[in-house]
Amino acid sequence: MGIFDKLGGKKDERPRADFSDVQSGSSTTAAEPSVPAPRPDFEPTGTAGQDQTYTVVAGDSLSKIAKRYYDDANQWHRIHEANRDQITNPDLIHPGQRLRIPRA
Amino acid sequence: MRQSRRIPVLGCLALLVMTAACQSNRDSGTTGTTGTTGSTAVRVTDVTLGRSIGGDKTITDRTDTFRANDTIYASVATDGSANTTTLRARWTFEDGQVVDESTRTIAPNNRERTEFHISKPGGWPTGKYKLEVFLDNQSVETKNFEIRGS
Repeated sequence: MGIFDKLGGKKDERPRADFSDVQSGSSTTAAEPSVPAPRPDFEPTGTAGQDQTYTVVAGDSLSKIAKRYYDDANQWHRIHEANRDQITNPDLIHPGQRLRIPRA
Repeated sequence: MRQSRRIPVLGCLALLVMTAACQSNRDSGTTGTTGTTGSTAVRVTDVTLGRSIGGDKTITDRTDTFRANDTIYASVATDGSANTTTLRARWTFEDGQVVDESTRTIAPNNRERTEFHISKPGGWPTGKYKLEVFLDNQSVETKNFEIRGS
């Protein structure tokens, strides 16, 4: 009976290689997800019918947010208009920005 | 006379159609977090192996044959945008033994590179190895490499 049989392992033809000291790591050019569970912030700031706020997360676009709130990506300009004070270029929004979402 | 009047009308119509097409593209969602397109499906476009890596996470010394004391780098190129995407690198030895398994969650925006590396202070056993790359738990690329005695 071989040592592997005694240890309850499978019987191999050659000694099993030991990888217990392997070290590993990673890095990326991509952004890290903004929060551990990057769920959109849908919290309304007031009662139903009032404007809401939305916190931009990585990968967002005005079209995407418009699709989410209005079910129509083409309504992105409404969000742009409502946030002219902080969005000068609608092609450029940043994670962490809190946008006002006009009521549907 | 009638013919000459029709040409400017057709020209105006063509201009209107072109303007509408441009507006349609603008509305279709060209806004993005960093000035690029919105969320698009993320895909792995390239996986390369090598002994060293640059600041842009590309392999600078590409090879699929390593020495026992090498650090092995894998550079995974992705294209597409998402709030969160998970890349996983599973390194296995020829006997099927999992050498290492690392996961990296990223928020890619168009073209990105993610590197995974493994090293073994005691030296790698010679033999054939395999790297399998997963994108959101789906195997998307496999690379074989070999460790040879120095």
